[in-house]
Amino acid sequence: MTDSTMQQNEGKREVTFRVHRFNPQVDTKPYYDDYTIKLEKGITVLRALNYIKEHVDPSLTLRAFCQAGICGSCAMRINNMSKLACTTQVWDELDKAKEPGVIKVDPLRNLPLIKDLVVEMDPLVGKMQHYSNWVESTMPEEEWGKKEFLVSGEEFLKYDKATDCILCASCVSECTILRANREYVSPAVLLKSYRMNVDTRDASHDQRLADLVKDHGVWDCTHCYRCQESCVKHIPIMDAIHGIREDAIERRGVKDTSGARHAEAFMDDISKKGKLVEATLPIRTNGVGWTLKNLLPMAVKMVIKRRTPPPPPLVKASKGIETFREEFREMSGHVAKDHEKQSGE
Amino acid sequence: MKRYAYYQSCINESMTREVDRSIELWQHDLGIEMVKLHESTCCGGSNLDYVSPKHFALVNARNIAYAEKMGLDLVVSCNTCLMTIRSAKKKLDESPELKEEVNGILKKEGLVYRGTSEVRHLLWVLLDDVGLDAIRQKVKAPLGNMRIAPFYGCHILRPSSVLGRDNPLEPTSLDLLLGALGGSTIHYDHKNRCCGFHTLLVAEDESLNVASEALQEAMDEKADCIVTPCPLCHTVLDGYQSKALKKNGLRGSIPVFHLSEVVGLALGYSERQLGIKRHIVTG
Repeated sequence: MTDSTMQQNEGKREVTFRVHRFNPQVDTKPYYDDYTIKLEKGITVLRALNYIKEHVDPSLTLRAFCQAGICGSCAMRINNMSKLACTTQVWDELDKAKEPGVIKVDPLRNLPLIKDLVVEMDPLVGKMQHYSNWVESTMPEEEWGKKEFLVSGEEFLKYDKATDCILCASCVSECTILRANREYVSPAVLLKSYRMNVDTRDASHDQRLADLVKDHGVWDCTHCYRCQESCVKHIPIMDAIHGIREDAIERRGVKDTSGARHAEAFMDDISKKGKLVEATLPIRTNGVGWTLKNLLPMAVKMVIKRRTPPPPPLVKASKGIETFREEFREMSGHVAKDHEKQSGE
Repeated sequence: MKRYAYYQSCINESMTREVDRSIELWQHDLGIEMVKLHESTCCGGSNLDYVSPKHFALVNARNIAYAEKMGLDLVVSCNTCLMTIRSAKKKLDESPELKEEVNGILKKEGLVYRGTSEVRHLLWVLLDDVGLDAIRQKVKAPLGNMRIAPFYGCHILRPSSVLGRDNPLEPTSLDLLLGALGGSTIHYDHKNRCCGFHTLLVAEDESLNVASEALQEAMDEKADCIVTPCPLCHTVLDGYQSKALKKNGLRGSIPVFHLSEVVGLALGYSERQLGIKRHIVTG
């Protein structure tokens, strides 16, 4: 029996960690170091990296604290997916490795790099501050500490899942729009804003919502669901983002932002024809000036290729549209009653 | 001949008419028939669900109920319609109260939503019902001379709690089909990433950055073309291609095909028959 077979039989394997390295004080560009160590089954990526730091290369820099999936400090990209090193089993990652026996470890994306696997969290903290992501109490200050501030179970359920967030920034690292523009609010901040906005003790709802609908805010999310898919606490982050949008349309109306106008166009078209009238969607979202400036060259190409969407009168309504419209109106009645009931509570 | 209720996506009736045209050409060759649901309405395009969650449930319960009335599964060839209608189905199936409320309204046209018809992508039907072996046997013009970059798009993969057919981190379904059509696929980071479609009218700069990164990687990896199962991804990657590349100071171009077109090419139909000449990028 060979050594490697014996090791495998005993649940031991040689594993290579291909780790991102960069020290801005001495390196001109990032590079990878390979560390090959013998490990037992059951070891997490964090324990393996700590072993490397203690026994192989003390210069390797990473951030970690609780080692129990609670503090969120050790988020990094393991085999190209952002996750916590302390809750990730080496053996599970070996199954996903593109090169047999090699686990690739990189720092989180979309945040400035400090060194090796450590990123700067200040931009995220700054955005949390910008959107006032804390409870601004509705209780007068003189009453603080003198009486209880009760939250019903039903009220708490609205943000129960959102409070599971440990600010590890895995969703920030995986966000499509943040990768395209670092100014974007980011999923973790939207989740926290949602959590504060549905808290019945909070007094900053309207101001926070007004900030969230501005440029680089809630309407810039492209619904890719990468944040939700990467969340280490399995929080439905897109539900929170959609929750803010729903709230924005309800409280601020459908005319104040291009995002709201765009969303409303879907509702309007479906209610009338059952079908989207795509030809006028850019104008209804952004106005004539924007449409001419941004889409005219493409519109010419589309006309040449006979790809233009049909003008509104030629959009054929769905079969049975008359009954469908009645049904749509009936549901509008249900929604109105729901709102009356909610405002009466 | 296995029959399916075919959901008519708004974009396939307007800008990407070549999708339905190509499916009509080859469907019988593969022993399937897509029966167009003329009653279907827009699914809400990943927008209606937050404008009005109850209207969202109503319109999609109705879309599925028409398929149920025919005793057929509902087949969709747009990723966002797929995700949106499946999300509505999940909500309806998990909430007896919502189902009852919606059915109370749908009885106006004699419809009942029961939750018995599956909502499936065309790609899944080709893989799971027609089968790769049967497809291989029908191929007349293998795609062998093409190095293909498969672009899955988001809403056939994520959220996995709603889609669940592929591993969103390492999807294989499109690669398997393209392989059966005689093509060879490349592995690249953007295969499971976003095209940027849903912010094109709201945050255009960001969308164009997202698209150009995907296009650039496919070109850097020396792909001859991109193939996508989603007409929305196609609209960005084909229609906005030159704008996206130019904005980011990049040169070059790469053709982008619909899934339904490459099936047609492999089955021996011409580019003209399949409507490929209608693409913005043709070279």
